[in-house]
Amino acid sequence: MRNLTEFRNRFFAALAIVALASSMSLAQQRGGAPVQTGQSVKGADLKGRAPVSREILKVKLPKAEEATLSNGLRVVLLESHRVPTFTMQMVVMSGGLSDPPNHHGLASFTATLLREGTQTRSSKEIAEQIDTLGTTLGAAAGVSSFTSTITASGLVENFDQTLDIFADVIRNPKFPQDEVEKFKQRQLQQLQFLRSNPQFLAAERFQRAIYGNHPAGLVVAPAESIKSTTSADLAKFHSTYYRPNNAMLTIVGDVTLKEIMPKLEKAFGDWQKGDVPETKIPAAPEPGATRIQLIDRPGSVQTVLQLGNLGIERTNQDYFAVLVMNQILGGGPAARLFMNLREDKSYTYGAYSNFGGSKFRGTVVSSSDVRTEVTEGAMHEFMYELKRIRDEKVTPVELENAKRALVGSFALSLEQPNALLQNIVTQKLYNMPADYWDTYPQMVSAITADDVQRAAQKYVNLSNLQIVAVGDASKARDVLAKYGTVEVYDAEGQPVTDSKKATP
Amino acid sequence: MRSKQRFLVGLLMCALAITSSVSAVPKGERNVHVNYKETKLKNGLRVITVEDKSAPVIAIDITYNVGSRNERQGRTGFAHLFEHMMFKGSENVGTGEHFYLIFNNGGNMNGTTNEDRTTYFDALPSNQLDLALFLEADRMRSLVINKVNLDNQRNAVQEERRLGVDNVPYGESGEVMQGLLYDNFAYKHTTIGSMEDLNAASVEDVAAFFKTYYAPNNAVLTLVGDFDTADALNRIKKNFESIPRQPDPPPVDMTEPEQKAERRANVDDALARLPQIDIAFKTVPGNTPDFYALQVLSAALQGGQSSRLYQALVKDKPMVTNIFGFADEKRGTGAFYTTATLRQGVKPADVEAAIYSEIERLKKDGIADWELQKAKNGTRRNFINGMQSSLSRALQISVWTVYYNDPNLINTRLDKVSAVTKEDVQRVANKYLTATNRTVVTTMPKPKGATTAVKQ
Repeated sequence: MRNLTEFRNRFFAALAIVALASSMSLAQQRGGAPVQTGQSVKGADLKGRAPVSREILKVKLPKAEEATLSNGLRVVLLESHRVPTFTMQMVVMSGGLSDPPNHHGLASFTATLLREGTQTRSSKEIAEQIDTLGTTLGAAAGVSSFTSTITASGLVENFDQTLDIFADVIRNPKFPQDEVEKFKQRQLQQLQFLRSNPQFLAAERFQRAIYGNHPAGLVVAPAESIKSTTSADLAKFHSTYYRPNNAMLTIVGDVTLKEIMPKLEKAFGDWQKGDVPETKIPAAPEPGATRIQLIDRPGSVQTVLQLGNLGIERTNQDYFAVLVMNQILGGGPAARLFMNLREDKSYTYGAYSNFGGSKFRGTVVSSSDVRTEVTEGAMHEFMYELKRIRDEKVTPVELENAKRALVGSFALSLEQPNALLQNIVTQKLYNMPADYWDTYPQMVSAITADDVQRAAQKYVNLSNLQIVAVGDASKARDVLAKYGTVEVYDAEGQPVTDSKKATP
Repeated sequence: MRSKQRFLVGLLMCALAITSSVSAVPKGERNVHVNYKETKLKNGLRVITVEDKSAPVIAIDITYNVGSRNERQGRTGFAHLFEHMMFKGSENVGTGEHFYLIFNNGGNMNGTTNEDRTTYFDALPSNQLDLALFLEADRMRSLVINKVNLDNQRNAVQEERRLGVDNVPYGESGEVMQGLLYDNFAYKHTTIGSMEDLNAASVEDVAAFFKTYYAPNNAVLTLVGDFDTADALNRIKKNFESIPRQPDPPPVDMTEPEQKAERRANVDDALARLPQIDIAFKTVPGNTPDFYALQVLSAALQGGQSSRLYQALVKDKPMVTNIFGFADEKRGTGAFYTTATLRQGVKPADVEAAIYSEIERLKKDGIADWELQKAKNGTRRNFINGMQSSLSRALQISVWTVYYNDPNLINTRLDKVSAVTKEDVQRVANKYLTATNRTVVTTMPKPKGATTAVKQ
């Protein structure tokens, strides 16, 4: 075997392993904290005999390099020489939140249609050239995002040719009328396809319940918006917002700044700046009282449940408290919801909680798909867990486990350069301190059981909890009625009155 | 600072390759070479180690040579149900404790089952190597088997089936396809199994399955990551070598008779809104020259927006909202799949005819140079990106060792794809993509309140 030590990547050369246990001490630590022998949690029996190292590996995250092109375009590079590939992403600092008020989805359509034709390449030529290189090329903007992203990922030996097409679709899209019309037809058909998916129906209703008419109240652009889109609309959005002074080019992979800078300058250096109007970030509306909304999906054998509240902005000072709270409540298979609803009750294949937030407040939401017959039991356990995380302090073991999970996973992220780059992008988009990810473990470690409870009481609010269910209304309706008045809708989002309601 | 040292990456011709194969890699292309060491324990457990200190991570994968192809009539879904039991405790590990410990220490883990294998993997910070070895060894040695755990996971698996099959559009279509396409029971049923058979699974079944298939001599263990090989091998031996060997499991008859005529079925789906057509052609086992040619064929015909089917049926004459497919890799007889979701109002027969017309054109004229290049570059990017993490390398090595008895396939796979010629692609298109070798399932949305089958 070749000794690989000498080939250690420079990014990891400074790896700091604090108090890494020797094999001897590892052997002596069987049964060590945080799991104690004989201790158990709901859904799991902990014998405490497996050898767990008490230490959390402290890892040094690789640093990105930065540069600026002559026209002011920011370039961020994270070198990663693990494998001979690269990913480049243009982040345009305008997305769905810059859509005209009556044209939700325009940013999304603009991004998607970039590759459907440029001044010098047809849609088909772009597809053939990109695929021949083995490159993937995608572009997207959310209905309520504040960015649009164009991403190309390929083999490093094809970097130059990829960059050429990447720059062309970003700078010179033509939005040909025939391609626009074909796209609109595809989108309308795609909406039909989405409406057969129960998780989509639940997400759509839940977002509307939380956000009302705020752009985040939409999951996808409405049909009217698709139908009214013209080539001129797309060109206008593009020329207004796709400007070097309103973008950031990020790259991760097997390249160096020295070798790519001249290429980037050639591809983007003469991209003209523009006067980009400021996009106002609309605040999320204040929460209303609890509503229970049920979407009748005849033929369903499961009920999709989503229960949640308005949460926080990404930069909110409660971020780390919510992060740890979510980890304990439903952040993975070792969390309370999974252990209770799946491992203990076996109601479901999985039960989780999630939270997110951008420049406006996100949501804190718990969800699971359960067989119709146990909808009642599942609702009971959800309400029990939501109440418990508010009313009782989490145990020291739970708190310690959550922190170990969150901080410990940084070691694994070193093998995921794309995820590391996304972290760096997040830091830049939200103007966080340059050492944000370096101090992240300390921020997590500083959270106390009181912090977790405060976060739960603030953001898991039962008096304005929004409850959405998708399933067989003839069976789920009475169960949900125990928690309040149930509004019933069909899959198109139309209210179903009792007289109209189809008999099962 | 700018030195371009790569821990695994070198010019292929310079690599200290275990294999002696020399491929014609074009100038500038760099491949990833994995140096591994293979060891066999006294109890027959095959161990493969890949020392890689580039990140403080270890990943272990244990693949057992058992899948749903080993199931008997009346016990479909059992191999996968059994996989769930592997998380419900062993002599020194409580129920649920395995994943409780992995996730609460910054790790990641899972298990998956398909027709041909069952695999378990854990990735952890490198100071938790002993934890991973202990957890995997304890359940290989001493799984706890009781009715409470079985009933508990039977329910979870039945929810998994509802989530993936019974509560989603086209779920039934996939099952119908598999049942129609294959004649040999090994592949004729799905891995998730039927509700009825899942209900029939007993504690005795679990005990017998464990003894027969979860033996060290029926498994491959791959460990990748930040450790010293000699030390890690000692730890592996300490944890695993005393687990007793068992008699070899009975061989599976994988013979699949030649198909003599087209097969068709219709499905009425109350959850679907758009019609769908699934087409399958029976092919060959994986890791064969014809299989690699079929992969290239699939890229040309149905891979990405430049593909012939996308350009013809989505762009030129819009008939479908989505069309995709792949050459399925199996230890036994594989298949070449195409799935098209139709636009409202389009006739399934018209879409089928359009697909066959593209296939016939390809059979007659072959593929273009750029399409061959597309397939090879796309495969390369995908494969190389898949080598980023220790976990994916461990999984790949274990699975290919169980499938093909070839851990070195991780170093030779791309050469095999590179060897495919345009003539190979045209030949396999003509050999396998024939009308008599075809199985077609047409799914129609079932009108609300309809009780009778939609006629063909």
